[in-house]
Amino acid sequence: MKRVRRGPLIAIAAIALVALLVPLLPLADPLHMDVVHHLSPPSLQYPLGQDEYGRDVLSRLLWGARTSLAVAAASASLACLFGTALGLAGGFMRGVAELVAVRSMDIVLCFPPLLLALLIVMLLGPGAATLIPVLAVLYTPGFVRVVYAGVLSVRSQDYVEAMRALGAGPSRIMLRTILPNVAGPLLVQFSLAAAAAVVLESGLSFLGLGVVPPAPSWGLMIGAARATMNQAPLLLVWPCAALSLTILAMNALCDALRDAVDPHTQPARLRRHAQPPPPPSRPATGTAVLDVRNLMVEIDTPHGTIQPVRDVSFTVRAGETLAIVGESGSGKTLTGLAIMGLLPPAAFVGQGSAWLQGHNLLRLDDAGFRRVRGGVLSMIFQDPLSSLNPVHRIGTQIAEAMHAHFEVAHFEAKEEVAALLDRVGMPDPERRARAYPHELSGGMRQRAMIAMAIANDPRLLIADEPTTALDVTIQAQVLDLLGDLQREFRMGLVFISHSLPLVAEIADRVLVMYAGEIVEQGDVREVFAAPMHPYTVALLQSAPRDDGTLPVSIPGAVPLPHAMPPGCGFAPRCGLREAACEAQHPPLVELASGRATRCLRWRELA
Amino acid sequence: MTALVVAENLSRRFGERGWLSRTPPVQAVTEVSLSLDRGEAVALVGESGSGKTTLGRMLLGLLQPSAGRVSFDGIDLAIVGAAQRRQLRRRMQIVFQDPQSSLDPRRTVGAQIADGLEIHNIVPPSDRRARVSELLARVGLSSVHADRYPHQFSGGQRQRIGIARALATEPEFLLADEPVSSLDVSVQAQVLDLLADLRTRLGLALLFISHDLAVVRSLCEHVAVMYLGRVMETGPVTHVFDAPRHPYTQALLSAVPRLDAARRRTRILLPGDPPSPANPPSGCVFRTRCPIAIGACAAAVPALIDGVACIRA
Repeated sequence: MKRVRRGPLIAIAAIALVALLVPLLPLADPLHMDVVHHLSPPSLQYPLGQDEYGRDVLSRLLWGARTSLAVAAASASLACLFGTALGLAGGFMRGVAELVAVRSMDIVLCFPPLLLALLIVMLLGPGAATLIPVLAVLYTPGFVRVVYAGVLSVRSQDYVEAMRALGAGPSRIMLRTILPNVAGPLLVQFSLAAAAAVVLESGLSFLGLGVVPPAPSWGLMIGAARATMNQAPLLLVWPCAALSLTILAMNALCDALRDAVDPHTQPARLRRHAQPPPPPSRPATGTAVLDVRNLMVEIDTPHGTIQPVRDVSFTVRAGETLAIVGESGSGKTLTGLAIMGLLPPAAFVGQGSAWLQGHNLLRLDDAGFRRVRGGVLSMIFQDPLSSLNPVHRIGTQIAEAMHAHFEVAHFEAKEEVAALLDRVGMPDPERRARAYPHELSGGMRQRAMIAMAIANDPRLLIADEPTTALDVTIQAQVLDLLGDLQREFRMGLVFISHSLPLVAEIADRVLVMYAGEIVEQGDVREVFAAPMHPYTVALLQSAPRDDGTLPVSIPGAVPLPHAMPPGCGFAPRCGLREAACEAQHPPLVELASGRATRCLRWRELA
Repeated sequence: MTALVVAENLSRRFGERGWLSRTPPVQAVTEVSLSLDRGEAVALVGESGSGKTTLGRMLLGLLQPSAGRVSFDGIDLAIVGAAQRRQLRRRMQIVFQDPQSSLDPRRTVGAQIADGLEIHNIVPPSDRRARVSELLARVGLSSVHADRYPHQFSGGQRQRIGIARALATEPEFLLADEPVSSLDVSVQAQVLDLLADLRTRLGLALLFISHDLAVVRSLCEHVAVMYLGRVMETGPVTHVFDAPRHPYTQALLSAVPRLDAARRRTRILLPGDPPSPANPPSGCVFRTRCPIAIGACAAAVPALIDGVACIRA
């Protein structure tokens, strides 16, 4: 959980402190009447004046806060305790407990809350002691629902299964494992219920169904002041102001808690540098479809600006497959996203250029990118289920991709979609075009994604781990399809993957990335047969073997972006390390036949 | 001496058709037999929906079989009482696939590793911290890590913590459910190394569930290949991998990408997707995608004879 914002927390603490300390303050007796001076305006002795019986308004206001907050806290706590127990039992044990917990709360929710409260007060008689159970009953369903929903999502997690496997009993799992994990939303619900209870307490007291006079209460004060509104309008202001301020503070606390609990509301840092500096040179003409020069991606973090991608340059020719291979944190995915203009909000392009058909992709604005993306440049992602829109049919989504770039008549689009689906090997394409994404298997969804990507005859296709989520036999189908399509359309393919064997099978050239830099590049067969960087060597040795021996692991871990070693990034894990490696950052040495390595000692590897 | 874990004709159905549910039941596992000795490593290989995870959960007694019997060290898991079952839990443990969801985000890793020690009262409370440090050291982490929370670790480190938690109760049987498939290659190698080392040093019976055939070979002696809830082929890893006899195993092996171009097999492309386990084909469940299926394949379910369930093998 993140830190809770200070302001609302302090406000609530101050209000609670005042309410707690009221008996110790030098205040007049809130019940002492002075009928002669009734409705007197504020004076030194009575800073907020006297009410219709001549009682001290300030004193009644503060004692009233005590009543209101005590009723709110007690009823919210009771509801929380009871609701949590029911929700936990219902969600974890299922069966009868679930039926009882959920359905009984549905019944409570069927009654309008005010009517239910009125009914119970009528039965039990008014008074603060009645209000607490009444409000508790009203707010229990909220807690049950929050806890029940939380338990349902937590109970399917592996760590709960692990506790069962360890032999833990149900009560231990519920209290020690599940409860802490639903505590966040529970806290938010508590502050919501307490705020609502303050309002409802005042409302019921105003109606004469809550706190019984002469005990002080905000609701009663508002009710009494209403009667004398013409003579002393100020009397109405004080309790209303107290009520509003308390509720405002409580709601602010709710928001602060929700922000602290919810991982999704982290404020995004906006890019500072709107445009990268102009590129140093014009694109190399010739057969290159994509020409990336000196790409640098930066991210602003609380620890300063980091550069997860540094000095990346490469070209992709028509009909060529270039693989970018690397482990997590190598910057391979960010490189792909930067080219597609899809960097997350916190990241931005620091410098560099990426030329595609006369456009510098890194300098395009949003409108420019929309023209390019899905047209000459298209992409497929790892998880087709989250990249397809779940509420639209597959065919509609493919047609939409076409409409975004060309004027296509409706019936033509329909035929075109069927032809495309047929081309990507979708069985029964006309029927499948009417299917929703969830009705298709993972392999078919990936085929649909590919159909969408090739709909506008792209020159460059960027595929980020397109088969990682698929089974091996399905992966084989998709790889075959990609190979066929590439030959047919003669498009450049950038294939981003962590799997060396996969890259060995599909790619023509390979870029090996480590900690944000290219460490080696070249023809895929040459690189894998005779690697010239120790990282490539180590990576190849850690890949699963055919001969049944255990793979050799690389000691240590990838350095963090804000703790890069001054010299070679791989030096701390490298067996060939010498003093020079740690002193200076090695440049990318260009060798013959398009190979390059970022190692000072490459000659000893060759 | 009998094997440590023995499964006989295990089947499991989900979503039995009741008076309220209209969805057809799913036959996740059908008549699978398996045995595992102390110190032996067996791989369970199959694609998603093949029932390998369900089978693993049944072997651990976390899921009740619909039919068939599991015994652990001669004790039938179906008839033991709740107390004895909890005692048995100490002797069998599980390592999960996803290092994100397998650790409780709200508790320190030390507390989670200590859970097993506490539940089974293995060491007195005063010695627990020392024991946790020892376990962390065994998986290549240090005692300073005990007071940190899971999100402060990388995926590979979290997987090590999961292994340390499983080892806390000194199990004899360890089920590793895809323990490396969400890790980077270099980290995969580290975890595989650790598992191989623990197996030989502690004499663990290891059941290694994986969809990745390549990682199985270096770690296990035996392999069972599953498809749609049934075992298609089983035998020593070297036999099955070098000379697969079932057409599914052949296709699966040929589909694995290889680094070494010379060792690449001609890819046998299987058409279409696996059928739904709610509506499996008659006869051999693989026949709808099988390149060599004949009419007789639809007639009867082929028995597992000599390690292969195929009438044409």
